[in-house]
Amino acid sequence: MNLLKFSNDVFIAAFFLYSIAFMLFTIAIMGRKWSGRKPEEHTARWGKIAFITSSLGLLCHLAYFFTRWAGGGHIPVSNMYEFMSFLSMMVMVAFTVIFSIYRKILLGLFSVPISIIVMAYAAVFPQEVQPLIPSLRSIYLNIHVTLAALGESFFAVGFAAGLMYLLRTVNFKSSSKSDKRQQRGVEFTLFTIIVIIGFLASVFAFRGAGYETVFIRSNVTVDNPGQNDSTIEKVSYKMPPLVAPYHSEIESFQSFFGIKEPLFEAPFWMKGVNAGRKLNTVLWSLLSGAVLYGVLRLIVRKPLGKALQPALDGIDESDLDEITYRAIAIGFPIFTLGALIFAMIWAQVAWGRFWGWDPKEVWALVTWLFYSAYLHLRLARGWQGHKSAWLAVLGFLVVMFTLVGVNLVIAGLHSYAGTD
Amino acid sequence: MNGRLPLIVNTKCECGHQNPVGTVLCEACGKPLLDDPESGETLEMRYDGMARRSQKADPDVIDRVWNFFSSVKIAIYLIVLTLLGSTLGTIFPQESTFLNIDPSTYYEQRYGTAGEIYYRLGLSHTYESWWFITLLVMIGASLVICSLDRVLPLYKALSRQKIRKHRRFLTRQKVVLVTMVAEDPEVWTARAVQPLKKQGYRVFTDGGALLAEKHRFSRWGPYVIHIGLIVFLLAVLARGLPGLNMDQHLAFPQGDLIHIPDTSYYLKNEKFTVEFYSDEEMPEEFRGKKVLPKLYETKAVLYECTEDCGDPSKEPKLTKVASHPIQVNDPLSYKGMKAYQFDYDLTPVLRSVTPKLVNSRTGDSYGAFKLEMKNPQRSFSAGPYTLELKEKYMEFGLNEAGQPISKSPYPNSPAFLFLIKGPNLPAGGEQYFYFPKQNDKAEFQQDAINDKLGGAGRFLELEVGDMSGVDFSESTSYLNIRVDRAMPFVWIGAGIVMLGLVLGFYWQHRRIWLIVEGGELTLGGHTNKNWFGFRREVSFFLNKMDITADEKSLDNGGGQA
Repeated sequence: MNLLKFSNDVFIAAFFLYSIAFMLFTIAIMGRKWSGRKPEEHTARWGKIAFITSSLGLLCHLAYFFTRWAGGGHIPVSNMYEFMSFLSMMVMVAFTVIFSIYRKILLGLFSVPISIIVMAYAAVFPQEVQPLIPSLRSIYLNIHVTLAALGESFFAVGFAAGLMYLLRTVNFKSSSKSDKRQQRGVEFTLFTIIVIIGFLASVFAFRGAGYETVFIRSNVTVDNPGQNDSTIEKVSYKMPPLVAPYHSEIESFQSFFGIKEPLFEAPFWMKGVNAGRKLNTVLWSLLSGAVLYGVLRLIVRKPLGKALQPALDGIDESDLDEITYRAIAIGFPIFTLGALIFAMIWAQVAWGRFWGWDPKEVWALVTWLFYSAYLHLRLARGWQGHKSAWLAVLGFLVVMFTLVGVNLVIAGLHSYAGTD
Repeated sequence: MNGRLPLIVNTKCECGHQNPVGTVLCEACGKPLLDDPESGETLEMRYDGMARRSQKADPDVIDRVWNFFSSVKIAIYLIVLTLLGSTLGTIFPQESTFLNIDPSTYYEQRYGTAGEIYYRLGLSHTYESWWFITLLVMIGASLVICSLDRVLPLYKALSRQKIRKHRRFLTRQKVVLVTMVAEDPEVWTARAVQPLKKQGYRVFTDGGALLAEKHRFSRWGPYVIHIGLIVFLLAVLARGLPGLNMDQHLAFPQGDLIHIPDTSYYLKNEKFTVEFYSDEEMPEEFRGKKVLPKLYETKAVLYECTEDCGDPSKEPKLTKVASHPIQVNDPLSYKGMKAYQFDYDLTPVLRSVTPKLVNSRTGDSYGAFKLEMKNPQRSFSAGPYTLELKEKYMEFGLNEAGQPISKSPYPNSPAFLFLIKGPNLPAGGEQYFYFPKQNDKAEFQQDAINDKLGGAGRFLELEVGDMSGVDFSESTSYLNIRVDRAMPFVWIGAGIVMLGLVLGFYWQHRRIWLIVEGGELTLGGHTNKNWFGFRREVSFFLNKMDITADEKSLDNGGGQA
């Protein structure tokens, strides 16, 4: 068990090192105009320190991974906590690979926070080492999950570079129709990221405060005439209930800000008790995201995209365009191998069919088709620059939906990955 | 892409080469043919500017179909439509995820009006619907035609490259350098060979002209991918052909030998095991709260019937051909047939009973016989009596007309009707209903039925003394038996796709053209991907030749693929 304790410690160390690296990258980029030195010199010097820090973080992260593997007896990618931790580690690996090719300090400013957010998201889930159920006991768990995550991580770096391209090139001064649309698109992307941060902030804040409210609901179903079956469902809210499950009663209620009961009830079509809880989580995320966004807007007094643009001054936009494409081009074969081919091989071995149109399978295919369309548009139709960057941003949204959304919204055979 | 061409065009290049209609860059010298000679824009190097079949001057019907499917634009539409179509199928679970539902009512009951609409639109079986299959078939057609339309011209172009290209071909590449060199053209060019070779290029020279090329194979990557996808799609289609595919879920009670329908195989479940994680193996948070399964295993033995297989009057002769402990990720496999662990049931299943025929008045026993639930003998004898089996019901029940029927073929509540003949019985014999399970005996009122059949003078009973007279199989393992003869082709297709991806994405086809003429060096470079790395390589080469050129300064603008 000592190994596992050490593993948890280095995980936290990795998280802090990444956070420090992120700050250092920020200093490297933002500080170049204020420091006494030449801007390039400043960026190179601080960028180097930042990269060393992030690499140390990655080393700690790797140490977490292998000690947990040794301590737990199986590769730690078998539940949502482990998978998301692994994904954030792979994002750092992909960043390190792309960075060592292109040496763009700025890439750190956008990739490292993705890794930090994914890592924080991992910590939302229960962290104990769970023994493997029979269907997961296979060598393909090691191959399929790791390769899929690595491929997706390159898409994540492509997303970071694509977003940077947009921030660099979208004309925030123009009020032409297409420019306006792109401005709104960039702002919406940033807002979405802030909502995710809002989600994480609310989860950890209320968890820290030890908040809990429990609802119960009794369901009566009539199987045969005259024979009623009633089952009682219970759901525990870890965030104050803005919205209660449809047709439910309070079992225990912890008041918040003086509010003593839920503000309203989930609509009738949200049947499961957990649907109400999920809706509540979404509302809190939007709420805290909106507050956070509002505060940031008040500080900078202009759209966030416009405020970020000066940070990217002097960066060659065609380099960003190429990095976006390159990251996706490196990730695509890995993704195909891990998320489709090895997925099919494993499905064949475990379930006797290589493809069953399970929602997770379908969404992996959707991701693959999306990036195939991206590659065809770019290679054969000459979609470069803005269009290509937008696709890279959108593509990562598809990836995240496949990884998280499918588990949250649609249940399927992959539901053991659990997202509660 | 191929702008509107005038009806008659002079396609002969100034170098004397006659080009087909639709050629963008002269096949021989590379001179741009179509646009303004003064234009400084970078050239469109796709397929090296070759004409494609789809650019024929006056197309007939076949050409039009060809042109439709050869368009990348159409291919992209097909990809996007398939993508959107696939997502529709994930809104609600597909019909195929359930074993026993009536979809016409299920979706409405479970999901209300939205479910009803979903079902009526046919989205509850999206992936089997005609439009989805059509999309896949069209993608297949597009894969074939797009590839053929491009790969042949590209192959021709690359296999007969001229070393000396038109100067304008060079200066309109995306990587360009024009600079002065003092040396003699041939000497300079000869000196350039070695460093380029060191960088892995194959170098060809023609006086003061030079062509260096590497990793041409990477150009075939996309076509290899497409071939792989075609093989894959064909294999998937072939799975639908009769005889190539078998898929059945069968119950195997422990200890029973079960015939696998439509094959000459029999499978015996010798032992089924379920194991759960012990408390020590679980994290503290779970102890006493959760039960996690650790192992499902069926020790299976596969037999093949070698003689008397189809003859119901004879025992089939069986030979053991394979045995394997089947686990969830470890099926039994024999000559293309696989048995997968699918499900299990720990309810004991009655296999046989050994009842005694007794005289209920005197308590005398006339002897016992073994009654198998499956394939029982037709007649038995006990002392002076003979018992003839008239009917058997595996799951006894009554139909609407009050007639006894068997509700299923599984021995859940078996019942047997005998005709007993012997001393002190009517000449035609006496009918006797027998329920081997005690609770069935009570539930279906065996005694009352028999009183009715045999009358008041009835004195014979069938009884099982103790548990030694009852044989159960402890559990049942459900296996999924599959044959899928097309699978090897699915994997071959997937393998080819992977090979193509690696070729196409991890290598790039790079070419450098040089002309040294009148003290001036003109360099043009092209790669199909990764311009950043290519510029770095060209700059490195130029440094070796004592020409300093910054990576960025080589960039002639234009987009980057």
